[in-house]
Order: sequence, then C-alpha cells, then structure tokens
Amino acid sequence: MAASESMYIEHFSEESRPLDYYLKKMNGYTASKKAFGMSQDDIIGEMKKSNLRGRGGAGFPTGTKWGFIPKQSTKPKYLVCNADESEPGTFKDRDLMRYTPHLLIEGMVIGGFAIGAHAGYIYIRGEYTREAILLNQAIKEAYAKGYLGNNIQGSGFNFDLTVHRGAGAYICGEETGLLNSLEGKRGEPRVKPPFPAQAGAFGGPTIVNNVETLTAVPYIINRGGEWFAKLGKLEKSGGTRLFCVSGHVKKPGLVELPAGSVTLRQLIYDHCGGILNDRKLKAVIPGGSSAPVLTPDEIDVIVDIEPMMKIGTMLGSAGIMVVSEDYCVVRLIQRITKFYAHESCGQCTPCREGCKWMEDILERIEDGHGREQDLALLLDISDNINGKTLCALGDAAAGPVISFVKKFRTEFESHIRGGKCPNA
Amino acid sequence: MTKKILSQKFYDEMDQLVPRYPTRVALLLPALHVAQAETGWLPPEVMEEVASYIGIHPAQVKEVASFYTMYNLKPVGKYHLKICTNVACCLRGAEALVEHCERKLGIVCGETTRDKKFTVMEEECLGACGTAPAMMLNDDYHENLDVQKLDGLLNGLE
Amino acid sequence: MPKCLIDGREVEFAPGTNLIEVARKAGIEIPYFCYHPGLTIVAQCRMCAVEIEKMPKLQTACSTVATEGMVVKTRSDRAVQNQKSIMEFLLINHPLDCPICDKSGECDLQDFSFKYGDAYSRYTEERRTYLDLDMGPVIKKNMNRCIHCTRCIRFGTEVANIHEMVAVERGNNTEITTVDGRPLETDYAGNYADVCPTGSLTLKDFRFRKRVWYLKKTPTVCEGCSRGCNMEIHQEANTIYRCLPRENMEINKYWLCDEGRFNFHYVNDPERVLDPKAGGNVTNWEDAIQAAKTALEGRKLTVLVGSDLTQEEATLIQELLPKVFPGAGLFHFGTPAITSASEDAPADKILKRKSKTANLHGLEKLKIHGLKTPIATEAVLVIRGGRAVLPDMKSIKTVVGIGVFTNTQSGNFAAVLPGLTFAEKNGTIVNFEGREQKLKRAILPLGQSKPLSETLMMWMNRKKAEHTSAMETTGAEAR
Repeated sequence: MAASESMYIEHFSEESRPLDYYLKKMNGYTASKKAFGMSQDDIIGEMKKSNLRGRGGAGFPTGTKWGFIPKQSTKPKYLVCNADESEPGTFKDRDLMRYTPHLLIEGMVIGGFAIGAHAGYIYIRGEYTREAILLNQAIKEAYAKGYLGNNIQGSGFNFDLTVHRGAGAYICGEETGLLNSLEGKRGEPRVKPPFPAQAGAFGGPTIVNNVETLTAVPYIINRGGEWFAKLGKLEKSGGTRLFCVSGHVKKPGLVELPAGSVTLRQLIYDHCGGILNDRKLKAVIPGGSSAPVLTPDEIDVIVDIEPMMKIGTMLGSAGIMVVSEDYCVVRLIQRITKFYAHESCGQCTPCREGCKWMEDILERIEDGHGREQDLALLLDISDNINGKTLCALGDAAAGPVISFVKKFRTEFESHIRGGKCPNA
Repeated sequence: MTKKILSQKFYDEMDQLVPRYPTRVALLLPALHVAQAETGWLPPEVMEEVASYIGIHPAQVKEVASFYTMYNLKPVGKYHLKICTNVACCLRGAEALVEHCERKLGIVCGETTRDKKFTVMEEECLGACGTAPAMMLNDDYHENLDVQKLDGLLNGLE
Repeated sequence: MPKCLIDGREVEFAPGTNLIEVARKAGIEIPYFCYHPGLTIVAQCRMCAVEIEKMPKLQTACSTVATEGMVVKTRSDRAVQNQKSIMEFLLINHPLDCPICDKSGECDLQDFSFKYGDAYSRYTEERRTYLDLDMGPVIKKNMNRCIHCTRCIRFGTEVANIHEMVAVERGNNTEITTVDGRPLETDYAGNYADVCPTGSLTLKDFRFRKRVWYLKKTPTVCEGCSRGCNMEIHQEANTIYRCLPRENMEINKYWLCDEGRFNFHYVNDPERVLDPKAGGNVTNWEDAIQAAKTALEGRKLTVLVGSDLTQEEATLIQELLPKVFPGAGLFHFGTPAITSASEDAPADKILKRKSKTANLHGLEKLKIHGLKTPIATEAVLVIRGGRAVLPDMKSIKTVVGIGVFTNTQSGNFAAVLPGLTFAEKNGTIVNFEGREQKLKRAILPLGQSKPLSETLMMWMNRKKAEHTSAMETTGAEAR
C-alpha cells in the first residue's frame, strides 16, 4: 500500500500526537472547517458515498446510521465514541487514541455537526488509563485553540467533548450496555427497540461509533466520499482499515491495508512473516474471539465483511489470532468460553446459565473428565443460546463453540477417550 | 453525620465534572475512579460517601461498583498485577507468567501476599495482543513479557 | 381496531398492546417470568419468545407490540424448543425445594416447568449456591431459588420509589440483595413476595403456616386507610392466613402496603373480646345487654361511631339513635388529628392515606361529623370495628363498647358487646374518591360476636326477624 494511501500507520509514533503535528502534517482541522460550510444532508451524503462500514465489529454503513437521527428532537442529541475495545485480539483503537487523538476529536466534531449533537462522549475502557490521559491532553489542546467548545473555528457550532472511563466490562462495548454505563448504571444492554437513534444517551437521539470509524471522517470530508470508496477493493467496503494480527506469527501487530485487498493467507504469511518458529498453522480466529474459527484450508478468503460472512464466520473487529500446532484448541475454546461466561452481564437466561454451563463442560473435557455425550450436549446448549439472547454476547459465545467442536472434533474426542489433554 | 473519608480534592475534582453530564447519576463511574485512586479500594464507608455526594441510595453505588472488575471491593496490595490470560496472550506464553508469579510470590491468583505488597490476578484481553504477553501493573501496561522480564520487574519493585 | 393472527386465531387488539396481552385476550397463554404488566419491560427471561412470520429470529412477546396482520405462532417447533431450553437453563441451579417451599402450588416456575419444560435435566456440574442475607422482618430471602427475573428490583425502583433491592456482581454470579444485609426500608415490602415468581422472596409472616392449595379466597377491600385497596383474604377453617392485593387499575393497581397487608392479625388475636362482658366479667348476652342499659340509664351520653364501620352499620345507628338515646351527641372517630374528611390527604406518593380507617368519607356522606372537642359527657357508648383509634376516655365515668375490642382496651368498660371485624361481615364502604366498594365476609363470626344489627335489635327487645338489614347474611353464605 502506498504511503499516500495510509491514513494511520505512518503516523503511529509519539511525535504525531501533538496538535502541531496534526495541523502541519495531517491537514488538521481543515475537514471540520470544510464541513461547517456544508449542509447536514451533504455531509451524510458523503458518508454514504464513502461506503465506510462501522469498524467496531458490526460493519453497519456509517452514513446510513447517521441518517437515522431525527432532524427535530425535544431531547438533546449525542455523539458517543465507542472506545471500549475489549474484543480479544483487537488493539487498533488504542494506537489511534494515543498516536492520532486529534483525528478522533475532529471526526467527532464533524459527526456532531452532521447529526446536530452538541455534546460528545468518548467511552474509553478503564484499562486504557494512560490513553485516557493522553486523550484529555489532546482535548485540552483543541479547546485552547478553538477547535472544540463554543463557536468552533467561528462557525457558530458548539460542541463539548468529555472522556468517560469505563471500569472493566466487555459488555460495555455493546452500544446500549455502553449507554447505560455512561449514564452511571450497570453496563447491561437494553431491549431494542427503542434504538439509540431514537432514545439513546440520557433519552436523547444518539449515534454510537467506533474509534476507527470516526477517525476516517476527516479524510472522507477532505478528500470526498468517492475517494474513500475507491480505496477499498470491494464494492461495499471503502477506505483502508487496520488489521490486528496476533498469536503465533513472526511479526504480530497492526497492518493497514485497503479494505478487501488481501486474503487471510496473504495477511499472515506476506505481511506478518508467517508462522512463529515455522510451525504448522492449525487454526485462525479471524474477527476477534467472537468469530467462528477457520481451519488452514479456509484461509484463502478475502479479509472483509461480506466474504467472511459467506464462509460462515465474520470479520468483526478485524482481530486476527493465529494458532499453530503448538497450542491445544480444546484449551483455547475453553479459555474463550470462560471469557464470555465471565463477561456475561447476567440479565438473560440462556447467556447467564448457558455460558457458564459450557465453560464447565469444556473445563472437564480439557482436564480429561469429558464424557461421550458432552459434545452433543455442547452443540445443543450453543444452539439454545444462539439467536435467543437479549444481545449479541450470547451469539459470540455460542458461535465459536459450535465451530471448534465441529471443525476439531477429533481433538475433543481424543481428550474424552484418552482421559487427558494429548497436548499437555 | 458520618465523618468524611475522601479528601477535598475528590470533591473539587468531581465538582469540575458536574457540568459535563445532564444527570448526577452519570457521575458515578468517574466518582468511583477518583475515590479509588485515593483510597486504593472501595470499602462500604467510601461507597456511602460517594452515594451521599451524588444523592443516591448506597445500594445503587454497590450495584454499579460490583459490576465492573476494576473497582476493588476488597483491599489490594501495593502492586496490583493483572496478567492477561486471554487468547493471544495465552498463545504467547501468559500461562507461564502466571505460574511464575504464583510460585515466586507464594500465592494463588486472586490473592494478596501477606506483606500486602503484591496482588496477582488473571485478566481478560487488555488490547495489547500485538505485544503479547501483556499485563497491567497498577495503571501501567507491561508488554512483550517473558518470565525473565517479569522476574526482573518484580525484583525491582520496592 | 387492528387484527392479528395468533396460532391461527384472529384477535382484535388496541394499538400499543404487547403480544402477551393480546394472546391473553384470545385465551392463549404465553409463559413468562420477567414480564409484569405493572413494571417496565426488560425481555430478560426469554421464556415468552414466539415465532413471528417474516422475522428470522424468535421475538420476545413481551417486548413486541402487535401490528395489523402480524402472524404469530406461540407453539411452533422453535418456540417450543426455546421454552424447553429456557426451563432447563432456569432449573440447572434451582434447588428441588418444592416440598419445603411456601411458593409451591402458586409458583410460576413449577407451573411453567410442568406445562412447557421437559421432565429431566442434563446438568451434572456443580450447582451455584449463595449465602443468604437477612432482609428484615417482612421478607424471607432464599437466593438459591432466584431465577434473576429482576421483578423485585423493578418493583423497588419503579413502584416503591426506593433503590434498595439491587443486583450485585454480574453474569452467573449475579446476586439480588439489599446492601450489606440491610433490612428492607419500604412500607411496601410485602409486594416483593407477590412479584417473585419463585419461592426466593416469601413472606416471613406466612412462612410454613399453610399450604396454599388449602386456602379459600374471598375478594374484599382493605380497611387500612381511606383508599380502599382491593384485597383478597385467604383463610382455612375460619383462620385468616394472609391477605393479598387484588388487581384494580383505578385504585391500587397490583399493590398493597404492608400496613394493610398485615392488618388482619387482630381478627384472630387471642386478646380480642369474643364473649359478652359485664363489669369486666364474661357473661351471657342478655345479662351483658342489661348491664349496658343499666350503666347508661339517665346519663348524658356521647355516642362515638368508628369510621371503620360500614355504611349499613352507621345508617342503622343514625336511625335508631333518636329512639334509644334521644339527645345523645353522635360523632365519628378513627384517626387522631383527622377529624373530618377534608383533612384526609395522601400520606405518601404511592397508596397510603392519612385517614387510617376505610369509611371516613362514607360516614361524612351520611352527615356524621367527627369528634373535634374533648368528650363532655359522663357516659360514652363507643361502637367500632378493629381499626378506629379510641380517643382518650380515661376521665369518662361510664363506657360501654359494641364491636371489636381487646381485653386491655375494654378493661374498665361497664359492658362489652362483641361485634364483627371487616373480615366477618358484608358491607359498603366509601373511599376518598367517593367510590363505593363492598366488604365481603371471609370467615364466620368468631366466638360469640354478633352483627351490629342483631345486637341493636336485642337491645331494643325486638325480634331479629322484624329488622334484618339486607346486607347482613347468615353463616351459610360464608361457607
């Protein structure tokens, strides 16, 4: 990818953080100035043209989402940035916030202007303590120079931005769980409808966007939605995106590439150096731990939203975790299920009871106390959770279990019949 | 009138935040962070004081504080280690780090050493998968760890 | 009115109605736990999920509003499978306490498990258990039985206006509790047991006292204040075991305050005078009445009428008073400091009223006025039910009581003629809105207590057959 195509990676260093750098080297705060001269409909039009898909995991077209906000509202509207980044395997928003915070700030100013919100919140996961401090410093810089606050750049538009720290709960990455947490409550997801665009934060129409999604906005406004759409190689997916590759690769880390431009195989072997210690690939978890697992013969899929859905998994947050023959997959899915059971908010029956049940069964199997009927039982429990819960955490727990049991059945069976983990 | 435990700094810092939210209840998560930064953990008396400041029932504070893992409802040691044992970190050897800590400090995950110096816990994904294995030591991330680095780090802590 | 199709049946519905209620109107039961028509909808238990045409996933009926032409299947294969799986999930940690649980016989978990669940569980892991914290004198908590429907939490915050019942921790470890074992503060704590679909929250007052299938239920009205909440008396063999609220959307919706709920205890109180007394000693009716007449003869008399009496009783007294006690003043009493209906007002923002008797407004409608000044006469005839607070009568030389008294209250009375409590009689009472409601007899008169009409007839030496109030009935009806 040419440097001119890079929106992010080339700026990922300590030097890029200050406002000065943003102004001089990244056309800082010119996009918002341009946006103030556009109508709300025009801005949303550009966003739609750009084919920007939500980068948090759901992949919903951002322009369409912004269009859901009603023009008139008796309650104040809000723009909320989902910086909760807790999906295992995902680590892109952290770098965006600590290296290019002004991209996010400016993206929110434009977003706020487009939907008519005068207050924005950045809900940042509590563990990103240092990143929150850096964000606040950048916000202070922006306020001082009139890029935030009242009458931004003489436009007459007022926008206030507040960093709100979470406190350790994956479920607060779910947009309505996040809104409840913002309001000072337990981060429990809400029944939908009403959707946040109708009644979100503090009862007002609200848009919740991922960090990476919002950082694309200044680029889209400055260079046009069409430019952004053309960057992406697939019809419905615009721009470049950050892929998070981790696990058993020689060069783990962030890779920025045009959307839809690369297969999993290319990503792992060409961009990340191939498998650690030149071992054999065993499995790839392609979209954060919520994505069903892929086997080595499935990695020629293009890493983008629609192609991944077609083969029964998802791109999600683009958190790609590579597993070589050096780790037991049964142990892996046990640990993943333990994560979901731990993070379940506990509201709805299938997730609260079912995730823990699956965790217990998988632990027994990994410890060598599995029974023949456990695999059918696991598949049945997952089926009873999948699609039956109040929010997507249930699906995120069930999908991987189903995929691991089906695709690595022999490994489970050897645990059960052998009475122990053959990899231990 | 119960004696106040939190300092004036808490009240000043919170008062600064009041205009940023349309409701008082929204101050709860920030308030618990600020209070915990002062007192290290959240005993019932501190939660009552936070409840009183915001103007809500103490049960409302408890229900929120107990939902989130970062709010300590039990005392923690001077050095609070949270070692990620989620997917990417496990793939890169996090389990060995946990074992090493437990052996070196003589405690099991979740416990605090008798001299109240170290608390060790397993943690979920910290968002540092590219530099796994990673852990939090109080507010800071330590990444690209291995047993030697961790050992050196622990030895260097007063 | 718009129409939809539920299990093939066409149902008309009012716009905005959720599918559970629409189905209910069509006589179709959709099982649920977390839903409650008096509380906000949370769609958490997932038990009410139904199949709706054109929607790929099952939808919770509680959170889905019916629309014109909607086609709903409540017993499709997928819906039935979901019901079975939810029941299985709920029962994996639920203890098999039915044989020792008060809720047995009126338990949603039991009923829906029987109708919609499987007869077995596949769970072989260790069960989750909790330590129980005490919650105070009203509610007994058993957290192991809880199915996390959160109705109790919502009742507290939405109806009782107190954020005392909360969920702590999260996920499978979620515990519903008060903070640090604090007792419940609300005056409406009894409702926590009503909303709980299992035996997790039960009334300490009722604990282990009676299996619910033995209880006979009588719909009546609470006499605790001038609101007149609708209520049910549950009794067996003439002993009242508990009172529960009865739904009335215009007066008390689904709720009852604790004062009203536990008021009934005085009916079976061993201290209650159930035999006629003269000069402090038990005697027969003739002698007691004679003693009463003698005590009051020739004296200046004040007649005090409790505002806990019914319209029929008060009317009778009004009619007979000039004949039996010409010149006597007639006043009502009931709540200290509330001497007239105009002084009655709400006592809280929920249900309670300042007047602690049910028929204050009824008596004033009959133009009976409240006692405003200290009693000036040397003799008093006091007629009351069990609620009206007796004024200070220490300086009164002669007191005769008709109605409900304890031994202590009537210790120095010249005569006591025992009468009926609200649970033992039919009658009309008028609430603060002017609404007439009916008390209904739930138990037969205890001991030798008699209806007021009978007592007054005996006093006037008239045979019962000549003047029987239409509202007084024989014991046959109570059976």
